[in-house]
Amino acid sequence: MGSVRTLLAVVAAAWILPALTAATIEGRVTLPKARATPVVNQRYYVVANAGVLSTNPPLAVVYLEGRFPRPVTPPVAEMTQKDLTFLPSLLPVQVNTRVSFPNLDDTYHNIFSFSPPKRFDLGRYLADERPAPSVLFDTPGLVTLRCDIHEHMRALILVLDTPHFVITAPDGAFRLPAVPAGRFVLKAWIDSKTTRETPVELKDDATLRVDFP
Amino acid sequence: MNTLAVTRSPADIRSAPPARVAGFRTKVLLAMMLVVSAVTGLALYFAQRNLAESVQRDLEREFLSELEALHQVRAIRQSALNERGGALVRKSRIHAALEDDAQDRLYPSAVDELRDIMQRRDPAADPAADALHARFFRFLDRKGAVIPLDPPEGRVAEVATRLTPAEVQQLVLPSAPESQQIGFLEYSSPAFGSALAEVIAMPIRSTESGEVMGGLALGFKPFEFGGRRHSGIWLNGRLHSTSLTAGVARAVEGVMSAAWNATQAEVPQRIEVGGVSFLMFARQLNPGSQFPLAYEVCVFPLNDLIARQRQLRWQVVGAGAFLLLVGLAASHFASVRLSAPVEKLAIDSERSARFSADASHQLKTPVTVLRAGLEELLTRDHLTPEECDQVSALIHQTYRLSSLIEDLLLLSRMDAGRLKLDAAPVNLTQLIEASVDDLSAMPDELHLQVETGFPAGLSILGEKRYTAMILQNLLENARKYNRRGGRIRVTARREGGKALLSVGNTGRPIGPAAQAHIFERFHRGAIGENVPGYGLGLNLARELARLHQGDLRLVVSAEDWTEFEVSFPLAGEGAPA
Repeated sequence: MGSVRTLLAVVAAAWILPALTAATIEGRVTLPKARATPVVNQRYYVVANAGVLSTNPPLAVVYLEGRFPRPVTPPVAEMTQKDLTFLPSLLPVQVNTRVSFPNLDDTYHNIFSFSPPKRFDLGRYLADERPAPSVLFDTPGLVTLRCDIHEHMRALILVLDTPHFVITAPDGAFRLPAVPAGRFVLKAWIDSKTTRETPVELKDDATLRVDFP
Repeated sequence: MNTLAVTRSPADIRSAPPARVAGFRTKVLLAMMLVVSAVTGLALYFAQRNLAESVQRDLEREFLSELEALHQVRAIRQSALNERGGALVRKSRIHAALEDDAQDRLYPSAVDELRDIMQRRDPAADPAADALHARFFRFLDRKGAVIPLDPPEGRVAEVATRLTPAEVQQLVLPSAPESQQIGFLEYSSPAFGSALAEVIAMPIRSTESGEVMGGLALGFKPFEFGGRRHSGIWLNGRLHSTSLTAGVARAVEGVMSAAWNATQAEVPQRIEVGGVSFLMFARQLNPGSQFPLAYEVCVFPLNDLIARQRQLRWQVVGAGAFLLLVGLAASHFASVRLSAPVEKLAIDSERSARFSADASHQLKTPVTVLRAGLEELLTRDHLTPEECDQVSALIHQTYRLSSLIEDLLLLSRMDAGRLKLDAAPVNLTQLIEASVDDLSAMPDELHLQVETGFPAGLSILGEKRYTAMILQNLLENARKYNRRGGRIRVTARREGGKALLSVGNTGRPIGPAAQAHIFERFHRGAIGENVPGYGLGLNLARELARLHQGDLRLVVSAEDWTEFEVSFPLAGEGAPA
């Protein structure tokens, strides 16, 4: 729930800063069908298929690409390890966000990533580790997180150079409020190899409907 | 003349058996010895062969079970290695490096992850762990190619130095391994000093989809057997072995090069090197592998087997000699036992023949003396005519007695097998003519009519006096048993390479019951009650006919006609017709 709160705070800040001249984008992303097989373990929220990483059931991240001022204070986010899984399994963050990884299990975890945007290794730690180990994600891109001890644990952090992003509902529906007016590119990240985009022109106090086929 | 001086007593005969009786015993003994020797020899040959084969089979079985046990040890080791390798390829960091586009992290991560399994550069420090420690490793990509160590520096540098580029090239597979692959690598490492390395390549599968992302190839020191055998590994047409001598290695290479398939290669072979035999077993080490096929070749020296076989052979020969001795002793005993009744029979026959001869001989003398005395008495003047008749009758009886003794002498000689024919062509026609003339010259009270019918110049093979004796006997009987005014018919003819002489006469027939006995010695038929004779004539005639390779038989004895037929061998093609 912490991550949701953080997300709301980010969205609220983005909404309040441009005062009352904000637009809203809503629409639907056509998501791939949920894969019942051949996933070995349904707890795997992030799955790889032929080298393509996605969530299961599928979710998309819709974000507005453009030149936005970077936040003065780095935003924070949280990805916990609970019941030998990452929660959430897909986390979009704005670049320069510090994500902490609290261990809520009774066992050791060792979070690491070999992904080019961010390589790190938090080492082994237990739930009593204070403060919870955290990493600053300062390069946009997709970061795959794993646990060295629990081979099945997998999570994705999508580092975005924008404060305007939202995760779709399981049916693909999204609503991106408080976005500034102007010409932008709206993108929908579906999996590690698929990102759809469409140019948008946003007007103040208007709601734009965008569907990704 | 003292006839006893030349006569051997029955005791003499028994104590010293005749030469041919002794010969019989020797022949029996020799035959039995031959049989015993042959049977013993055959039995020994098969026993020795079976024992030798069984010893060899046992030894082969022993070798095979030893090999089997060692192969199981190998399988356990491979399974342990596989288990360790399997744990390694599930490591998150290795998966992360392969899946997350971070190949530069692959070898550095593996150096950490494989730290436990890698062998130190100084294997002598812990030789026991040597078998389960890897000497080198490489990762394979999805296509089976070796993922290079790029760049080979830092901690990875040491990994790089453990294989030369040529050796690395031997790890390349046609595709990433779908299952564990066993292979062998021609390898020379200054640190480990081995000529071969055993490679276990295992797939690295995606945790989620199960698809093969690549492979991990680990190189180990080949599993080495101890024990009596020497072994090597046949790979790429070459034998790699440190335990085989150069000569044995050459012989093994010859056998393996000649084998053209796996089944043929795995048949146990016997090889000879420098006069020493070895048993060679080959077994494929990596059936179905994507790596080149390798065979393990084990060579067992057969010194023990040969020594055991030699010992066995001596034991068998010893047992055989003993058996042969026992067999020969038994055959000697058996031959004595077997020939005893025959010898007894022969001695008895000899004795009876000799008795008959001696008795005949000793009877002739007093008869002669008696006849001389009677003839002397007859010359005296004072004898009345009645007395003269009586003395004459007595003299006639001495002649009959002499004739009887002659017949008995002849029979006894035949019984003893001592009568040998001095065979020569005999003109049977002349003989018949002469005999018929003699018959006609005799005083004839019966008024017999003699008929003849024979070809001129019929010649047979025989001895004339005995042939004549047969004919005289038959004619004598024909006359004696005839009726008054009856007929005698003498005919001869050639038939089927023989001369057949028939003598028939009229008179009372011989009854069917008597016919069976007429050729027996001293048999006289009921019809002969008033006829002089001793019942030896027909018997003598038949014995003589048989001595001539012929026979005498009664052809017919019907109402008023009795006919005998005697057969003789013809004198041959050259004989006068």
